[in-house]
Amino acid sequence: MKRALTLFSFGAMLAFASAHVLANGNIENGKKKAATCFACHGADGNSVDPQYPRLAGQYNAYLVQVLHEYKDGQRNNAIMKGMDATLSDQDIEDIAAYFSSLPTKLDTLKGHIQGD
Amino acid sequence: MTRLQLLGLAAATALFAAASAHAEGDKAAGRTLVYTCAGCHGVPGYTNAYPQYPVPKIAGQNEQYIINALHGYQSGDRTHPTMGAQAQSLSDKDIQNIAAYLSSLAK
Repeated sequence: MKRALTLFSFGAMLAFASAHVLANGNIENGKKKAATCFACHGADGNSVDPQYPRLAGQYNAYLVQVLHEYKDGQRNNAIMKGMDATLSDQDIEDIAAYFSSLPTKLDTLKGHIQGD
Repeated sequence: MTRLQLLGLAAATALFAAASAHAEGDKAAGRTLVYTCAGCHGVPGYTNAYPQYPVPKIAGQNEQYIINALHGYQSGDRTHPTMGAQAQSLSDKDIQNIAAYLSSLAK
């Protein structure tokens, strides 16, 4: 019983920790909040101008990370800093959830290197 | 040489110069160069440590964005220890070749 209880609480801790790692944005809200992004990144998240990155289908938690980096200046980019300045943590989660949910043209490098 | 021929020659030279200034990256060379990148970017769901987040999917990403990002790591506009070190080892030509290859992989 004691061991079961210990195991259970360990499991609960793990579940809590992983829930925290998984971003919990709202896709529908994100679509509304992302309207300003569309001019450069496209409504479908596939920027037409090649100087801007495709966002469609990019990893959710990666998008959350970089939006915070642009906001706090760790990534120094004047345009994105301006766009990010007014976004709350929840806005960032929602926008990332929206773009990551879209059909993607992106992939990892698996199968794309010499010898693969 | 007539004036017209001279003009034509000047125009051709200008065209040629513009073409080489806007050099296309070499996809085959890029394919060889990205071998190193695949250590992290070739593993689906591979995570960066401290802080923990998945490294981005870069196959199929837009060409000029890749070029700008790698130059950003070189200049310090982007701060990431591993990517900073990797970018330092690349020439401008290498970066063009990598960007040409990665952007060609769009699904």
